Amino acid sequence: MVGLSEGEKQFLSGGIEHNIRADGRTRHQFRPISVHTGVIPQANGSARVRLGATEVIASIKAELGKPSLLHPDKGKVSIFVDCSPTAAPIYEGKGGEELSMELSVALERCLLGGKSGAGAAIDLSSLVLVEGKVCWDLYIDALVVSSDGNLLDSLAAGIKAALSNTGLPKVNVVLGASPEEQPEVDVSDEEFLQFDTSAVPVIVTLTKVGKHYIVDATSEEESQMSSAVSVSVNGNGQICGLTKRGGAGLDPSVLYDMVSVAKYVSQQFISVLDSEIAAAEASED
Amino acid sequence: MEYVNPLTGLRIDGRRPTEMRHLKGEIGVVSKADGSALFEMGNTRVIAAVYGPREVQNKGQQMNNNEALVRCEYSMANFSTGDRARRPKGDRRSTEISLVIRQTMEACILTKLMPRSQIDIFVQVLQADGGTRSACINAATLALADAGIPMRDIITSCSAGYLCTTPLLDLNYAEDSAGGPDVTVGILAKMDKVTLLQMDAKLPLDTFETVMQLAIEGCKAIAQYIREIMLQNTKQLECRRGS
Repeated sequence: MVGLSEGEKQFLSGGIEHNIRADGRTRHQFRPISVHTGVIPQANGSARVRLGATEVIASIKAELGKPSLLHPDKGKVSIFVDCSPTAAPIYEGKGGEELSMELSVALERCLLGGKSGAGAAIDLSSLVLVEGKVCWDLYIDALVVSSDGNLLDSLAAGIKAALSNTGLPKVNVVLGASPEEQPEVDVSDEEFLQFDTSAVPVIVTLTKVGKHYIVDATSEEESQMSSAVSVSVNGNGQICGLTKRGGAGLDPSVLYDMVSVAKYVSQQFISVLDSEIAAAEASED
Repeated sequence: MEYVNPLTGLRIDGRRPTEMRHLKGEIGVVSKADGSALFEMGNTRVIAAVYGPREVQNKGQQMNNNEALVRCEYSMANFSTGDRARRPKGDRRSTEISLVIRQTMEACILTKLMPRSQIDIFVQVLQADGGTRSACINAATLALADAGIPMRDIITSCSAGYLCTTPLLDLNYAEDSAGGPDVTVGILAKMDKVTLLQMDAKLPLDTFETVMQLAIEGCKAIAQYIREIMLQNTKQLECRRGS
């Protein structure tokens, strides 16, 4: 991205102070969001989410695997984010690896809960088929196709939409004669079980520019930020994760305020996202 | 396996031997890029984005002061193939295809008009079902046109093979993995010159000529389609400008 001139910087920060940003939005307004589901036919679930000019594609593939020895009653989920060089030339070769790692870890923290799996948004015990032997391994792959700021929010929305679109095939398990034998699994091609995504949270990133904070920053606004707080909120208004990025320090009272603003904005965002996902699923059929 | 049904003469996906897959092209999918395009050939979907001409980032790479530097990177998404596989960036196949696309596009870009600058072509495969390098070259042509980069001609690419003693146009993944020959051709459409020619497996010479000719016909048909897409895009731009 070409750098901003002094005049442009003043325009951005001045607009934010007066609650009218460069594209006409208020500080707490999201850009229009568009969701398409089922875009990757060979995946179990997929979605493409466009938030302004930021576009991400999320796909979910389920494979049969063995549960880990520490948690024999839980399935496994892993999240990988890839920043495509089409989004920005700086992501060419290994350039996008650091950002991809940061985004993957932030998403895992918000969606998968702690190390023991406690508080995960996706119920991992629903993924296990035969305790200790057979479980579903979910691979969530997200690709950033076009980047205009606010990648974390778009990725979380994309993953939520893809999970709504995911159908796990019904599996008939035939247990072996002895407990050590590997059970036979018969994966059905016909019946599918839909995922319950009501507990999956969305992420709202608040970017502090000057004295005010804005929701859903474009990449130009992000270049002027002093710090950013990403809050993950689920449908019940509970906080599922929190990340603070950026160098400038924040007063704790400001932090409380940001969290409550994030909670309020997220309720609106969740309802908009849910209706978009429902519309996308309906039109896909 | 019967790749060509002896009774009906149709292929496994129902096409006739000289029939291409359904094509779809769209310009301007990545708004932040200087030029971008989405190209679909059947189930193969690729996005190409062009950034440039811009200042050379790495002076060490700049060989020639009088010409623009053309760089290309080919990457496949983790979910692009049937079995989900973690693709490391910079593996041999990606590097080879990046090189092939770069050399092909370099042949048609008028690099002498943009000295001391750099043109980046990034191709991302969203779905792979055979013929990815052809789809990438076609998408790159559209993206370069969208970016307004001066080119000698439209470059299009198509593949053809030879299975069950029949020349087949535009192989999909199943036909490509059958072990038969796969001829990929890239041509400059109006100038009628071949810029890319790759083949694997073996073919007798006269059969090779037939198969290559078939691929060239395919390329010309794609060039026709690409021209239509570009015309439509220009009409839309004209409309938006208000003339």
